[in-house]
Amino acid sequence: MGKIVGIDLGTTNSLVAYVDAQTGEPKCIPGPSGSTLCPSIVSIDPDGSIIVGEPARRRLLTQPERSIYSVKRLMGRGPSDVQSELKLFPFRIDPASKNMIRVQLGDKVFTPPEISSFILRELKNWAESYFGETVDRAVITVPAYFNDAQRQATKDAGKLAGLEVLRLVNEPTAAALAYGLHEKPAAAGGKVAVYDLGGGTFDISVLKLISTGEGDIYQVLSTNGDTHLGGDDIDNLLQAFVHEQILQHDQIDFSPHGELAQELRKALIGIKHQLSETTTATLRFPLPNGDVFAREFTRGELEALIRPVVDRTMAPVKLALADAQLKPNGLDEVVLVGGTTRTPLIRRTVQEFFDRKPHTELNPDEVVALGAAVQANILDQGVKNMLLLDVTPLSLGIETYGGAVAKVIPRNSTIPASAQELYTTGVDNQTGIDIHVLQGERELAKDCRSLARFTLRVPPAPAGLPRIEVKFLIDANGILQVAAKDLRTSEQHTIEVQPSYGLNDTDIERMLEESIEYAEQDFAERQVIEARTEAESILIATAKALANSQAAQLPAAERQNVDASVVALREAMKGSDYKLIRQQIDELNRATEHLAELLMTTAVQTALEGKRLAEV
Amino acid sequence: MATPLHITNPPLVCWNCHERTIGTHFCPGCGKLLQLPQGSDYFAMFELPRKLWIEMSALEQKFLQLSWKLHPDNFVGATEQERGISLQRSSELNDAYRTLRDPIARVEYLLAIEGTRKNGENKQQAPPELLEEVFELNESLDELREAKAEGSDTALLRHRLDEAEKNFEQKLSEVDGLLQSTAREWDAAIDASAEGAARKKIMAQLNDLLNRRSYIRNLVVNVQKELL
Repeated sequence: MGKIVGIDLGTTNSLVAYVDAQTGEPKCIPGPSGSTLCPSIVSIDPDGSIIVGEPARRRLLTQPERSIYSVKRLMGRGPSDVQSELKLFPFRIDPASKNMIRVQLGDKVFTPPEISSFILRELKNWAESYFGETVDRAVITVPAYFNDAQRQATKDAGKLAGLEVLRLVNEPTAAALAYGLHEKPAAAGGKVAVYDLGGGTFDISVLKLISTGEGDIYQVLSTNGDTHLGGDDIDNLLQAFVHEQILQHDQIDFSPHGELAQELRKALIGIKHQLSETTTATLRFPLPNGDVFAREFTRGELEALIRPVVDRTMAPVKLALADAQLKPNGLDEVVLVGGTTRTPLIRRTVQEFFDRKPHTELNPDEVVALGAAVQANILDQGVKNMLLLDVTPLSLGIETYGGAVAKVIPRNSTIPASAQELYTTGVDNQTGIDIHVLQGERELAKDCRSLARFTLRVPPAPAGLPRIEVKFLIDANGILQVAAKDLRTSEQHTIEVQPSYGLNDTDIERMLEESIEYAEQDFAERQVIEARTEAESILIATAKALANSQAAQLPAAERQNVDASVVALREAMKGSDYKLIRQQIDELNRATEHLAELLMTTAVQTALEGKRLAEV
Repeated sequence: MATPLHITNPPLVCWNCHERTIGTHFCPGCGKLLQLPQGSDYFAMFELPRKLWIEMSALEQKFLQLSWKLHPDNFVGATEQERGISLQRSSELNDAYRTLRDPIARVEYLLAIEGTRKNGENKQQAPPELLEEVFELNESLDELREAKAEGSDTALLRHRLDEAEKNFEQKLSEVDGLLQSTAREWDAAIDASAEGAARKKIMAQLNDLLNRRSYIRNLVVNVQKELL
């Protein structure tokens, strides 16, 4: 079995983390650039290769029609859900999309879970290069307020990326886990609020921390949020504001989806970040007519503009507190999570509301991934000193007569949670009972989220005689499972549930097959390539060293040894055993140790020549 | 999305080593997690008698203690069958805790397992002595809706509905008081091992109070919605 990691699959950035076996501390894994943040941007090259992260960001400007960001906003949603997003985000939805959204990237179409799987695969590669080992299992975080379809889509993405998703963990809960390791917030019974404003989603969770003889329990009391509220919305407001100004000032109206708009957006995000540090920032934006749009922004101005976004977070906060039966001053700790909480206005607003200085010690970008790593470690090691009890964010309901909804599992129920419903027939010899499962707080089915529809098969019998028990179960990932039992025969029914929005098993099978076509080389293959590259550079260095006049000083036996090692390495490079290649690299390194010393001494002497001793 | 889940009949013996196992969470023979024995209920799960007064902190302690043992986190590396049992057992534990923690849900559940109340039963008939007041209330609600639609002044109507709401909330707390005293009667009857007829009478009273409570609560909620 390979390694296990925790992954924060974010709207703006994604991260991968693990728990260091020596220190027991969670740590984020850096990518090739040295940064731990992988921008959640995907671009597809005309040759079909997939580019993820920072390199894809540049393509957002140069090849916007082949690139996509913020795909998390589309996860688990139907085409009709995202109409409002389309006005603000440059998503090109395939017009042929039915239940499942398909996004056009160049001449290909992809579902949101597929695009997310490219990001996950990139992070998997980061981790594998870091460990030098395969990574095959992960804990992935999701916004606490994600519904069943959004969770399932995330799980599907993991599967498509070649990861066994051991658990989906709610982002604010993960953050609490990460903080809990650093400094136990409050003693037993302490209540903690986690305010998590990310790039595209907002969550608020209220937890109770309980110390027991066996260890610490993190019990979520309530959660609320908005899966379409985040830093993106601030950027949209800024962008619309400046578009309008440029239109009035320079009579230039550019399409919100074009290259220019993307460049402006990037510049404005820079201004936004700067205004978290300083009180003024100046935008200088070159326009196509040769002019430069220059304007100074003050922090006050930005705050006035984004106040509506900040205010929108407060309604979920109040609801979560009401569900936990707490008053704002009844909390022992408040934790800020998500890059957007760097905004001074948000820090101030949260501090005023709770009348308490929030925790910001851990990097708000990394804290969720760190918590995911902690949970991954618990699941891997069976660590018995910590237990997480999370809740379902939305009530589960069944459609009844007249389009009303009967709630069977209330929101904020600890998961796993279940409910049994008894069904019978209304007419003689009725052979099927239609069941519609929904999620949400509204009273009418049409206002709730449709999760699934299915038909219970019933053997022909007089009306009212059949007794079918249906069990609805929300598992520890917040995902629904359904089973049915005929109480007269104790016979198990298999229920074919067609997801209302999402991929079915056949879709996933097909995509898994297709993903091989797109997948980067697997771990071993990449190791071979990396080892060969390294071997080549050491061979070049050796050849260069041997060509040096100083190499003549090398004793004949040593020279033979070096030559033999070179031959052995070249031989190993022909094969695909990366361990053997590495072994021969080490061999050659040892053989050339003396040679390197000789050259080094010469180099130092050369460098010293003509210099006085005092200068050394 | 939803995947089929297997419901199997709880065995009388351990599914793994076939040792007799009734009444325990883990098999005394092999230590494997067991399914809940048939005929078990939420009270039995917490080793409580079927009484309505429950000491909340003891209930919470027991819940946390069982969570440690039953939660799926403990079974990630186990066989598919064990994972399934853990999922079933921990969901039952959470369902039980959710139900017993809530005083109203607790009464509903007790009546359901004692066979007095159908699952989800909520009679929506107005209790006869409330008929007149309910009629007036509905009239005021209609007037308020009309006034809102016409955009005319609603201050007076709102005031009247405020008063009515207070009146019904008062009745709600009366019903809650009655529920509490009847619950005490039930507990006393259990302690005294009272006979079936006496128990049935108390249960009928409890059932009646629950229906009444649910009716009045709906009224209050409806008024609150209109007044928002």
